[in-house]
Amino acid sequence: MSCVSSKQRALSRLRISFAVLAALSATATPSLAAAATQAELEAKVQSLAEQLAALQAELAQMKAQQGANSSSAPAGAPAVTSATAAPSSGSASPLSFFGYGELNYSQPRDNTADTTADLARFVLGVGYRFDDRTRLVSEVELEHAVSSSEDPGEVEVEQAYIEHQLTNSIFAKAGLFLIPTGLLNENHEPTRYYGVFRNFVETAIIPTTWREGGLAIQGNSEIGLRWDAGVSTGFDLSKWDATATEGQESPLGSIHQELALAHGKDLSVFGALNYTGVPGLRVGASVFTGGASQGGEELLSDAHITLWEGHVRWTPGAFDVSGLYARGHISNTRSFNSTKVGNPTLIPENFFGWYLQGAYRLLDHGRYNFSPFVRYERFNTASDYAALPAGLTPDTLADQKVWTTGFNLGFAPGVVLKADYQWFRDSALSDRFDLGIGYQF
Amino acid sequence: MLGSIPSAASRSLRARISIFFLPIIGLLALLGLAGCGGSDSSAGSSTPAANGGQLSAMAQIGEKIFHDASLSGNGQMSCATCHDAQRAFAQANPEAVAFGGPGLDQAGLRNTPSLKYLSETPAFFFDAEGTPTGGFNRDGRANSLAEQAIRPFLTAFEMDNASAEEVVNKLRNARYAAEFRKLFGEQVFNDTDQAFLDARLALQAYQREDTDFYPFTSKYDYFLSGKAQLTDQELRGLALFNNPQKGNCAGCHPSGRREGGKPPLFTDFTYDNLGVPRNTTIDANNDPDYFDLGLCGPPRLDLADRSDLCGAFKVPTLRNIALTAPYFHNGKFQTLQEVVRFYVRRDTNPEEWYPIGTNGLPDKFNDLPDQYKSNVNVTEVPYNRHEGDAPALSASEIDDVVAFLNTLTDGYQP
Repeated sequence: MSCVSSKQRALSRLRISFAVLAALSATATPSLAAAATQAELEAKVQSLAEQLAALQAELAQMKAQQGANSSSAPAGAPAVTSATAAPSSGSASPLSFFGYGELNYSQPRDNTADTTADLARFVLGVGYRFDDRTRLVSEVELEHAVSSSEDPGEVEVEQAYIEHQLTNSIFAKAGLFLIPTGLLNENHEPTRYYGVFRNFVETAIIPTTWREGGLAIQGNSEIGLRWDAGVSTGFDLSKWDATATEGQESPLGSIHQELALAHGKDLSVFGALNYTGVPGLRVGASVFTGGASQGGEELLSDAHITLWEGHVRWTPGAFDVSGLYARGHISNTRSFNSTKVGNPTLIPENFFGWYLQGAYRLLDHGRYNFSPFVRYERFNTASDYAALPAGLTPDTLADQKVWTTGFNLGFAPGVVLKADYQWFRDSALSDRFDLGIGYQF
Repeated sequence: MLGSIPSAASRSLRARISIFFLPIIGLLALLGLAGCGGSDSSAGSSTPAANGGQLSAMAQIGEKIFHDASLSGNGQMSCATCHDAQRAFAQANPEAVAFGGPGLDQAGLRNTPSLKYLSETPAFFFDAEGTPTGGFNRDGRANSLAEQAIRPFLTAFEMDNASAEEVVNKLRNARYAAEFRKLFGEQVFNDTDQAFLDARLALQAYQREDTDFYPFTSKYDYFLSGKAQLTDQELRGLALFNNPQKGNCAGCHPSGRREGGKPPLFTDFTYDNLGVPRNTTIDANNDPDYFDLGLCGPPRLDLADRSDLCGAFKVPTLRNIALTAPYFHNGKFQTLQEVVRFYVRRDTNPEEWYPIGTNGLPDKFNDLPDQYKSNVNVTEVPYNRHEGDAPALSASEIDDVVAFLNTLTDGYQP
């Protein structure tokens, strides 16, 4: 609301400036001209013109900011990526900056010694519009505050692609971009999901923030159907570390390449459909599939990875209800796994997860909004293994079940305070209390 | 890089390098080796042998030196005398240690290690966490194969040369002396230190280039590349070998492919203190005050004041382990069965391994002075147990692990 007020003030100032300029023009009679030199008049006109230009720029900035703020609301707003928060082509400058960040504090119930406070993400984006059809979208992310050989942080390029508008409704992308999957991957800013941390299913099963390098086409039809298709780099199973536990935490997260000297022998293809033709409703599905040996491990030469998911989000009024199911499959791992028997983490054949989430905007007053939520997740990062001889097939992991409840409190456009409590059922993880703050601009 | 090992062309450069730079030479050469994969493989995915399988001129001279008994004090002992190619270039005789000296009857101090799969061993260093790593000899005191070769030439109970000059004088009269001069320069024998260094660099080149030292042709190698299947027992053994809660052998002897898909070497190049029982068949151990303390001496001098490292010896490769009995630095055990059994029953049944002391209890870790017994690793699986606990492996599981270890012998025909 403060943004609207600012906009009104800017408009008001603009009108006053126009009035002054008109009055000056009307009174610029010969007699007045006699009282002031031609040079003085020209200087005044020049000054007013500069003020007018400044006000126009300010108004354009207000419009852009309003657009960004409106996309940061957690409810609704399907398929709006952070990149779209960049100023439109009507902006005074083709260059735009945007970003988001999140800080969190997490205290396990059973072991407070493991309590952590973390600047989990600090992301800055730069957009550049080359012309009315072509633009660059890029994001650079710093995770965990400090990145060095002795610190836990990482510096990553999260997105860096060129988008070209082919027709009014069809866009082409080339570069490093987010895979259109699930509810979070393209909408991963902290103001756009409930809970301090991203949900487990869209972290352990869908490796959000999941990006690949490649080519893609996106189209939007008049009936509210968005479709995506593309070819991209894929996963690299030769990176699988059977001696570590990362593969248990997120099978695909442990072997993604993120376009960091990515092996490109085995490319993948993907497609997604999302329907948003009914106000407040988003329903969609996606699939990503491709080879994953990347020529690095001969026993995995026939290995193939497929991940598919379906999702729905419905935001009637103050309600916000969503659900997602995702399932991954890795084929032809038997020979490789047989060389890794006894290690903690063999390659699973199947993994899956789903969740249901409900939220209600209890308060929506001025700059403040308050939305309690509850979410139930069930997922398994190794629900099945390819059968091995000699009784050496690993036991499948137990399904992990997590209840999360808490609230999002928005207190400024693009800023949210979050708190939640998570119960881990059938898991070695301790229940925990989480507190966080997130922002997007 | 193997093919670029210096030959005559770089003779003048090397001539200016003093013996003090030898460790650096070794390290750089090793880095170069690692950079090219450093290994030939019939079953693995490493690079093929250098020079299309043809040894360089330097390596050919190295091979001749390796087999030349005339370079010893009594003219009867060469490198190959102790490093038997049929036993993975490990000790030829079945006793705990090898014998040398003027009458070939002086006992050594340690069991002769295999020379296979050493070429990628890094020079000795402490890693970021302070873990001693790398180096040659069982105590890592040599930083390269060329430096390692000093000891056997000049040790009284080995090849028994009194000095480098004595070795070079013998080289001067060797049947391949003309080739040596042709490669290293006509005046090479006028500079004793340089000629001795050249001879050892030639030995090093031979051990790096000849694929006999790193064939990667074990059944396990073929298994890793999908060209052979392990039996059920061998697979069970591999699983126990890898399992961090059972054998946990892979904790120090990694079994998986290395970065870049290179075949495993079954060593992480670190050191461990296992508390191996004293071997009274070694002559030196007749002196109750003599203790071989590995990293902290007595042969190694630079870490003598690191009492926390006393008793630690290098983790060897397990490739061809079935051929290299007896085992451990002091050759205490004759069979792999005994070795694996010792690992899992050392703490649950110490009476099986150590003599009973005057107090009626097993004298655990009896090859260490009392003040160093606390250095023995008693925290990691499988030796994190106590008397009365169940051993980490049962008798049949020990058999399974040994069956797997037998798949690491080179020369398997898939």
